[in-house]
Amino acid sequence: MIKKNSLSFRIISHVLAITVFLFVVIISFNYYYSRTTIKESATENAIFLANNTVAKIEQILQPMEKIPAMVAALMEVQPIDRDSLFRIVKAIVENNETIYGAAIAFEPGFFPEKGRYFAPYAYRDGDQVETMSLGGQHYEYFFMDWYQIPKMLNRPYWTEPYFDEGGGNQLMATFSVPFYQIINGERTFAGIATVDLDLDWLTDIVSEVKIFESGYAFMLSGNGMAVTHPDRTMIMNKSVYSNAEEWNAPILREIGRDLREGISRFREYQLPGRANSWIYYRNLDSNLWAIAVVFPDKEMFAELHRMGTIIISLFILGLILLTMSTAGIVNRLASPLAHFADSARTIANGHFDQKLPEIKTKDEMKELHDAFSHMQDELARYVVNLKETTAAKEKIESELRIAREIQMAMIPHSFPPFPDLPQIDLYAILRSAKEVGGDLYDFFMIDKRFYFAIGDVSGKGVPASLFMAVTRTLLRSIADKESSAKGIMEGLNKSLASNNESNMFVTFFLGIIDLRTGIMQYANAGHNPPVIIKPDGQVRMFDKAKAIPLGLFEDFDFPELSLQLNEGDKIFAYTDGVNEAENQQEELFGDDRMLHIIQQNRDKHPKELILHLEEAVLSFVNDHTQSDDITMMTILYNGKT
Amino acid sequence: MNVTVITKDEHTVVALRGRLDTTQADAVEKEVVEILDQKHSHIIFDCKEMDYISSSGLRIFLIAQKRMMATGGQLKLCSLQAGIQEIFDMSGFSMIFSIFPDLESALNG
Repeated sequence: MIKKNSLSFRIISHVLAITVFLFVVIISFNYYYSRTTIKESATENAIFLANNTVAKIEQILQPMEKIPAMVAALMEVQPIDRDSLFRIVKAIVENNETIYGAAIAFEPGFFPEKGRYFAPYAYRDGDQVETMSLGGQHYEYFFMDWYQIPKMLNRPYWTEPYFDEGGGNQLMATFSVPFYQIINGERTFAGIATVDLDLDWLTDIVSEVKIFESGYAFMLSGNGMAVTHPDRTMIMNKSVYSNAEEWNAPILREIGRDLREGISRFREYQLPGRANSWIYYRNLDSNLWAIAVVFPDKEMFAELHRMGTIIISLFILGLILLTMSTAGIVNRLASPLAHFADSARTIANGHFDQKLPEIKTKDEMKELHDAFSHMQDELARYVVNLKETTAAKEKIESELRIAREIQMAMIPHSFPPFPDLPQIDLYAILRSAKEVGGDLYDFFMIDKRFYFAIGDVSGKGVPASLFMAVTRTLLRSIADKESSAKGIMEGLNKSLASNNESNMFVTFFLGIIDLRTGIMQYANAGHNPPVIIKPDGQVRMFDKAKAIPLGLFEDFDFPELSLQLNEGDKIFAYTDGVNEAENQQEELFGDDRMLHIIQQNRDKHPKELILHLEEAVLSFVNDHTQSDDITMMTILYNGKT
Repeated sequence: MNVTVITKDEHTVVALRGRLDTTQADAVEKEVVEILDQKHSHIIFDCKEMDYISSSGLRIFLIAQKRMMATGGQLKLCSLQAGIQEIFDMSGFSMIFSIFPDLESALNG
């Protein structure tokens, strides 16, 4: 349907190229921009989730911290009712659901009557709250973290989370607050008040965090142990530091270090063999425990990629629709062109009435149709015209050909003309240029006198040939009445000059040889002077004319000259078609060249002399168009005999 | 063929340049006849740059001469190139025209 290089192919390929280019630019920009935005919003989201989780945890932790602090404050007020202490710890546990146990542990031997260990402790046992005193040979509580560290630090302390081994594998952490008593006026460390916190609720809060498809949160203890994690096997298993070693993942060590120093950070997070992810982590406000939010990179952009896939699919669909509709439109618009081409071919074969494709629209196609139709009409008219003009031209041409034939028939051309007159031999040619011309020659005998004439009418064409015919006719009729060259010339001139509105003229040379005496009378009316060739090799031009051409002024006086001819003398007469023949370089054949060739052929018979000259002229002119008639006549006088 | 006309004192100088051959003759004739129609009393044909003349060209000069003679005006030719002078001599036209060797002598003569 769509050929390569066809109009529709080119339009469609251009439209598609531009569309695809625009689409790629827009989509690339949009993709890049969306990616940045999504990343920013994912970061914000992760930070928000982490902060929110921290806030939720703090909301529970902070009230808990107040309980041992209050107990500690109470312990600094003396005296202490030792037995009421069991009630206090019991009440604390009973009244706080999240508290698993509470203890008030004193320095060894603080109450001498109680012995080395005194630490009232309440704890949950199923639905009951039991009390007991901690301490014994197997539980030297003074050396436990929850006791020793706050004592040394002199400040409250959260222990690392741990599994309570006694009560149902509970995840717990202990908050310890040191208390003091004034002994001998000195503020002396007296013991530690604690609460044990059941940390199961932490798992609930942290596992609530969901981000993207599989994003999650987990909590780390100050030592870098997972306190909560979606993968339960990770919980309280190994610290980030040992995982860093094991998995060859230095990033875990960096995270541990950051959290120890209280630094929060959003960063790329890739564990060996796992998908590239992003992580945000921060400490709690209360202690060095930390919340981390993790989500995979590809999920962050999953929505973007899904959108991209949809957009590209839609775009491809759009391209197909665009291609089809463009092809449809272009084909519909351009289909008349093929018909026009067919019509043009048919018209070119001469069927001007070929029906053109019908155009209903008013667009450029309509203009083309109208122009075509106009061309058809014009062609038809033109061809009719052409036929007429050709016919007319052929008619004119045939008439001109006839005119030329008549013109040529007027001059004698049977040679030798007077076989029974040994005194005279002659040869002449008139080689016309393309159109009918104005050259003429003539010769005839009247009473032993030989008349010869050569002439050249100004201009060319039918006027010149008519003028020539008139001249030739007048010459014969005047020669019947006048016998002298002068008389004939003046008679000719008078006739030609009267009513010569067009100011045409003819250069004319007339010679009359009396065969009895050899005397030649002649008159020259502005014609090229003939050449006389003597048998001794002398070649010489006649003097220039003493008179103007015939036909100019009615009463002009034409002088007559005479010359004695001897046996063997030749007279060569010609028109300017010979000496003014021109070659392509616009050089003239010239008198000198003409005389030179005559000299070379001076002994030749008139016919040979003329043929040699003609050949020389033609080869000089070569390819250049012959512009003027070429006329030559040579008369050989053989003596009186 | 290029024809230009300038006026010097009472003289109208018509300068002819190029080849006055048969194909050009009709156009030149028209231009010359237009100049003649303006009835100048003194006309000089300056032929300094006229390289060629055919018999049809000669006819134009002849028309001019006849018209000037009829109106009692004066026609002069000047600065004919050698080849053209020869044509004038050969055809006897030298006898019916006043021919001057250059423009200056034509203006003064």
